[in-house]
Amino acid sequence: MALLLRTVARQGLCSSRLQFAVLYRHAVPMGTTAKEEMNKFWTKNTRLNRPVSPHVSIYKWSVPMMMSISHRGTGVALSSGISAFALAALVLPESYPYYLDLIHSMSFGPQFLAFSKFALAFPVAYHTFNGIRHLIWDLGKGFRIPEVYRSGYIVIALTVVTSIGLAAM
Amino acid sequence: MAALVTISSVCYRGVRPLLFRSSSLIRPLAVQKDRDCPYLISAKIHATPSNYAYSGSKAASLHWTGERILSIALLGLAPVAYYYPGPAVDYSLAAALTLHGHWGLGQIVTDYIHGDFKIKMANAGLFLLSTVTFAGLCYFNYHDVGICKAVALLWSK
Repeated sequence: MALLLRTVARQGLCSSRLQFAVLYRHAVPMGTTAKEEMNKFWTKNTRLNRPVSPHVSIYKWSVPMMMSISHRGTGVALSSGISAFALAALVLPESYPYYLDLIHSMSFGPQFLAFSKFALAFPVAYHTFNGIRHLIWDLGKGFRIPEVYRSGYIVIALTVVTSIGLAAM
Repeated sequence: MAALVTISSVCYRGVRPLLFRSSSLIRPLAVQKDRDCPYLISAKIHATPSNYAYSGSKAASLHWTGERILSIALLGLAPVAYYYPGPAVDYSLAAALTLHGHWGLGQIVTDYIHGDFKIKMANAGLFLLSTVTFAGLCYFNYHDVGICKAVALLWSK
């Protein structure tokens, strides 16, 4: 597509060149990858110190936007949690039941325990349900705006219900 | 103007005909710029030479597909972990969780980090993190109670 724009723009539309009444060009396929093009974009613009147009700071936030970044946020949080857990397993001297008993001996109230379970279950549930929503999009379904909102609200509802259910277990 | 007509006609048909057919597209166009000499121009476009070998790898596309398959596998592991806890599921979870996280964080690096050196450093750091994570989880599975049991114990109180 850009190929066409380039070739046509390059030769212009001068009618004087049309002695054969034919626009004739061998279009050469682009020799750069998308990654190379993006690198060129960024190096050039950072070199010229160009300001970036405001985007997230001015655009009105919508539910799909918030859910999308939350999906990424919960993913990072869960991944960090798993990595921290793995690191702790390697570094800490005692076994897991030991540390679990240690925490329980600190006698937090039952509400605190229930809340902690909720706090753990919530990002897992959200990321899972929104992940399913993403997979459905990958099948090509549910892209119409009302559908996006509807599936989004379903994900939120399922997340809350599941988190409460898991915290109660 | 004529260019726009050409482009819009290609856009409507999609790029596929251009890329995968080495035959030329001929579209008659009317020039409206010069009103004194209106004539038809044929735009003959060779998208690629017919002997152009298919180049470029499918790596990115396969990576994408792999990500989705892994996500589905991880989804399936959750009920299995609940109903059939044990070392097999423990190690499968360790692998699937680590790889899913590694690929997910990799996408974040791709989105937000620019510049060859920074990208290389970020990916190296990420690789180190994922390696340590997997090692730690496997260590936990082997020397300690294992992931499934750990979650069960955590939830039991």
